Amino acid sequence: MANAAAEAPAPASPGTPERARRGAARQEAQSVLLLGSVFVIATCGLIYELIAGTLASYLLGDSVTQFSTIIGAYLFSMGVGSWLSRYLGGPLLKWFIWLEILVGLVGGFSAPLLFVLFEYVASFRLILYALVGLTGILVGLEIPLLMRILENRFEFKDLVSKVFTVDYIGALLASLIFPLVLVPQLGLMRTSLLFGTLNVVVAAVALYRFPETRPYRRAFASLMGAALLALAVTFGYAGRIQRYTETLAFQDQVIYAKSTIYQRIVLTKNQRELRLFLNGNLQFSSQDEYRYHEALVHPAMQALPHARRVLVLGGGDGLAVRELLKYPQLQQIRLVDLDAGMTELFKQNQLLTSLNQRSFFNPKVQVINGDAYQWVRQDTTRYDCLIVDFPDPANYSIGKLYSAAFYQELHRLLAPGGKLVVQSTSPYVARQSFWCVAHTLQAAGFHTIPYHCYVPSFGEWGFVLAGENGHWRPNAGPLPRDLRYVTPVTIRQMLDFPPDMAEVPTDINQLNNQALVRYFEEDWGPYVH
Amino acid sequence: MPPKPSPSSSLTNPSRREFLARTGVGVAGLVLGPGVLLESCSPAGSATNHIQGGLRGADHAVGHLLRTPGRLPAPSQELSTDLLIVGGGVAGLAARRELARHGHEPLLLELEARTGGNAASGQNQVSAYPWGAHYLPVPDARNHDLLGFLRESGVVTGFDGTSGLPIYNEYHLCHDPEERLLLNGHWQQGLVPEVGVPAADRAQIARFFQLIGELKQARGTDGRDAFAIPLDHSSTDAQFRRLDQQSFAAYLDQEGFTSPYLRWYLDYSCRDDYGATAAQVSAWAGLHYFAARKGRAHNATAADVLAWPEGNGFLVEQLRQQGQGTILSRIVACQLQETPTGVEVLAYNAAAQRTVRIRARQVLLAVPQFVAQRLLAGVQGAVHPAQPLHHAPWLVANLTVTGLPQGPGQPLSWDNVGYGGASVGYVNANHQHLSLSADGPKVITVYWPLSDAPPDVARRQAYQTTYAEWLPRVLAELEHLHPGATPYVQRVEVWVWGHGMVAPIPGFLWGPERAALAQPLRQRIFFAHSDYSGMSIFEEAFYQGLRATREMLAAV
Repeated sequence: MANAAAEAPAPASPGTPERARRGAARQEAQSVLLLGSVFVIATCGLIYELIAGTLASYLLGDSVTQFSTIIGAYLFSMGVGSWLSRYLGGPLLKWFIWLEILVGLVGGFSAPLLFVLFEYVASFRLILYALVGLTGILVGLEIPLLMRILENRFEFKDLVSKVFTVDYIGALLASLIFPLVLVPQLGLMRTSLLFGTLNVVVAAVALYRFPETRPYRRAFASLMGAALLALAVTFGYAGRIQRYTETLAFQDQVIYAKSTIYQRIVLTKNQRELRLFLNGNLQFSSQDEYRYHEALVHPAMQALPHARRVLVLGGGDGLAVRELLKYPQLQQIRLVDLDAGMTELFKQNQLLTSLNQRSFFNPKVQVINGDAYQWVRQDTTRYDCLIVDFPDPANYSIGKLYSAAFYQELHRLLAPGGKLVVQSTSPYVARQSFWCVAHTLQAAGFHTIPYHCYVPSFGEWGFVLAGENGHWRPNAGPLPRDLRYVTPVTIRQMLDFPPDMAEVPTDINQLNNQALVRYFEEDWGPYVH
Repeated sequence: MPPKPSPSSSLTNPSRREFLARTGVGVAGLVLGPGVLLESCSPAGSATNHIQGGLRGADHAVGHLLRTPGRLPAPSQELSTDLLIVGGGVAGLAARRELARHGHEPLLLELEARTGGNAASGQNQVSAYPWGAHYLPVPDARNHDLLGFLRESGVVTGFDGTSGLPIYNEYHLCHDPEERLLLNGHWQQGLVPEVGVPAADRAQIARFFQLIGELKQARGTDGRDAFAIPLDHSSTDAQFRRLDQQSFAAYLDQEGFTSPYLRWYLDYSCRDDYGATAAQVSAWAGLHYFAARKGRAHNATAADVLAWPEGNGFLVEQLRQQGQGTILSRIVACQLQETPTGVEVLAYNAAAQRTVRIRARQVLLAVPQFVAQRLLAGVQGAVHPAQPLHHAPWLVANLTVTGLPQGPGQPLSWDNVGYGGASVGYVNANHQHLSLSADGPKVITVYWPLSDAPPDVARRQAYQTTYAEWLPRVLAELEHLHPGATPYVQRVEVWVWGHGMVAPIPGFLWGPERAALAQPLRQRIFFAHSDYSGMSIFEEAFYQGLRATREMLAAV
C-alpha cells in the first residue's frame, strides 16, 4: 500500500546522527499530534450524535424512539464511512484535511440547519436522517483514515491500542460535558458550531505541521479561513437564530408558523386537537377552548338581555366573538386586536374558521387592528359589555393594559348598567396576580365579581366580572341553547373560591408601580424553570 | 439633562475596552461561559453606513451676533411694548405666564425657532423625544406656585380630600420600571450599585443614605429646611451654608465616604444634574441634590418623577399656552440701553435679516448670565462676576433604533445607565407610550456631560467636533450598554449644548455674587434664569421667572 503520509516524513537523507535525531523527534511529535487529533475528532463525533438525538427528541418528541433511531442510523452510517475509506487512495493526509473541513462544516452547521429547516420543510425527518447519515459517514471515515496514516509509525498492536484508547476517552469526555456543561451553558446550536470549529482546527494543525502539505497549503488555508469565519459568524448570531426558531417548545407537529411584526404565531396539530401558541405561550387547544370562551362571555352576557353593543379587546382568534354571536339582540360587536396577522389568519385558515365559525365574517362584527390602549383613549362609544381578553401580564407593556388608569378609561366606555369582564390568569398558580386584577378594578371604581373555571389544557383559570354596581345574578337571563359548559349551575359553582385560591391582599396595579407584572413573575416563576 | 440622580466616572474613567475586559467579558464570561465571551468580542458596529443623521444645536451663528453688535444693520423696524421679556426658556415662559395671570401681555423675544430653552424637544415618526431636560421630580407639596402650574396643566388632577396631597395624572408619572444600572454585566434595578457590591461598600452606601435621611428632616434655627427647592428657601444657618465652601469630593473624603461604588454613584449624580463632577461642585450642592427631594403626593413618592416622551418639552409647551402676548422667534437681542422712559433694545431678526428697535418700560432678561452681561455692556451699574460662571457643555444624542439587544437582568427601563460609562446613560422616549409593542422601534436619548476638561476647553473642543467624529463615540457608548446594537440604529441626531447648564461650584450658591447678579437695575432691568439659582433644574428656572415677575410687578 503506497502511503504518502508515511513516506513523506521519512528523513530525506540519512545524513548526520544529529539530523537523524531531529527527524525522529519530529516523527514522534507528529505521531502525538495525530493521536491528539483522534481524541478531538472522537469527542466531536460523539457530540454530533448527541446533538442529533437531542434535537430529534426536542423537535419530534418521543425521546426513546428518537434517540434510539438516531444512534442506530448514526452508527450504521459510520460503518458505511469505514467501508468507504478503502476507496480513498493517494495522499492520505490531504484526504484527512479535506475530511476534517467537511466534518467541521456538516457537523458544525447541523444544529442551526435543523432548527431553521424544521418549520419550513415538509419532510423534516428526511432531512434529519440525511444529515445524520452524512455526518455519520464522514465521521466513520476519520478513524480508518488516521489509522492508515499512522500505520507505519507504530506496531499494529500498539496502533490499535492507542487509537481506540484515545477514541473512547474522547467519547467519555463528550458524553460527560455534553449534558453537564455544553447544553446548559452554550445550547445546542453553539455547541454544534463550536465542535465544528474544533474539526477545522484539527485540519489546520495537520496542514501546518506536516511539511508534505506545502504544495496545497495556500488553497486549503483560504478554504479553512472561510469555514472558520462562517462558523464564527453563525456562532455570533446563534442567539438570534435560536429566538427565531423556538420550535423546541412544541410537542406536536407544527402546521403553521409565522412571525408578524408583533409576535410569533404557531399552530400545532395532533390527532385530537389544534393548538395555538403566541410567542411560545399556549393560547388555546381546540379540545377545550369552549370552556374558556363560554366562561369568558356568558356570565356577563346572560345578565345583559338588552345589550346592543359589545367591545372585545384582544381575542384576535374570533372565539369570544363566536360566543357573542349567540345573542341575537346584539347589533354591533367591535373587536380591537393589535395584530392584523392574527385576525387575518383566523379569517383565512380553514381549520381556524371552522373553529370560530367564521365569526369575523358576520356583518355585525367589526375588526380593528390597533393598539387597544390608544383605541380606548380616543373611543367615545358607550358599550353594554366589554370583553377584555389580553395576554397574561408577563411584561411591562402588557402590564399597562391591566392598570387602574386603563380600567378608568374602560369605565368611561361602559354604558349605564353595563358589564366588563377581564381574563385574569390562573387564581391557583398566580393567586396574587389574580386578586391584584380584582383589586385594581375595584380601585378604578368597579364592583367586582371574581370567578374561575377549569380548562384542562390551562388548568384552573380566572376571570373578573365588573360593573358600576353589584346588580348581577347567575340566572338573570336565558343562556344560548348550544352551550357545552356554562349553565346557571356552573356559573354558581364558578363563584366559589376554595381556600387555596381565596382572596389575598395585594397592591393596586398602577402605571408607576406595575405591581401586577411583579406578582406575575413571582407567581409563575417556579413553573417556568 | 436636568435632574435625576446617579453616578459617574471620574474615579478611573475606564475606556470601553478596559471596561469590557473588567466587567463585561470578565464577569459575564465566567458566569455565562464562552458563548457570551465570543459574542462580546464580535466586531461591534463596524458598519455604520446605514445610519443617517446630523449635527444639530442652538443657533450659534445668530447667537454670536451678540459679540459684535456694532455690525448690525441700521434698525428698519420699531416696536414698543410695556413689558419685554428676552429669552423663551423656562424662566422667560414662567414669567410670561405669571404676567398673564396679572393681566399683562408682554412681548417675548426668542433666539430659536421655538421657545423652550434647554427643555427643547423634537419629534419623528417613532416618538417625540427630548433634546435636553426631560423630567421633573414629584415636587415638594409646599411648592404651591409649581403645583398651581401643574394643576392647570392637567399633571395634577386634584387634591386628596383627607391628606390634601396632590393627585398626579398616572399617565404623567414615570411608568415602572423606572431605572436600571448595568453593573458587572448585569442590569440591576435602580441606579445605586448593588449587584456584586462588597459588604463594606454597601455599608458606606447605607450610611450615606442615612445621612441624607437626616438632612431631609434637618431644619435651621430660622425654622427653614436645611435643603429646600427653590434653594433660596433653604435655611441660612452657617452649619449648613458652610458646606458650600468646600467641594463635594473633599467633604466625602472628610466624612469617610470612600467606597468607589458610592463615589461613582455620587459623581454620576453630580454630572447628571450639574454637568460637573463631585470634585467640581460644592458639598452643599451635592447634598442638596438628594436632601431637597421631599416630594409628596397622594399617589406617588419622593422618588417618583414626572416624565413625557418629549421630556420637559411638555412643560414648556404648557407654560407657553398659559401665557399671553406676542412671541417673536428667531430674534436675537444684541444691545440694550436705558432711555429716559425705560429701555431700548436692538434686536436682529434672523429670518427677515433686519434690525428691530424695541422700546419698553421694563425688560426682563431671561437669558443665561453671560448673555445678559453682553447685553448690559453699555449699561451703568451692571454687576459682573469676577470669574465667568461655570457652564458645563453637554452632548445630547437622539438615536432612532429598530430594537435593542437586551442583556441579562431587568428589562428596558425609562432611564438606563452603565456603571463607569462616559455618558450618563440614555432615556427611552417611548417608555411613556401606552403601546403594546414593546419590541418595536424606539427613540433613545443619550446624555453626555462633557466634564473631562475645564468647561471653556471642553466647549471649544465640542464645537470643533464634527458629526463623523461624534457618531463613533456615541455608538461606542451604546455598544458599552448593548453589545451588538449598532445594526439596529437607523438615525443618530447629535446636539451640542455649549452652555448646557450652570454648575454650583464651591462658594457660588451662598457667596455674595449670586444675589448681586440677580438684583434689578433701577426698577427697569430684571433678571431671571436658573443661572441665578446656580442649578439648572426646572423648579429653579420656574422660581426665578416668578421671583423676577413679582419684582417687576412690585416696581409698577
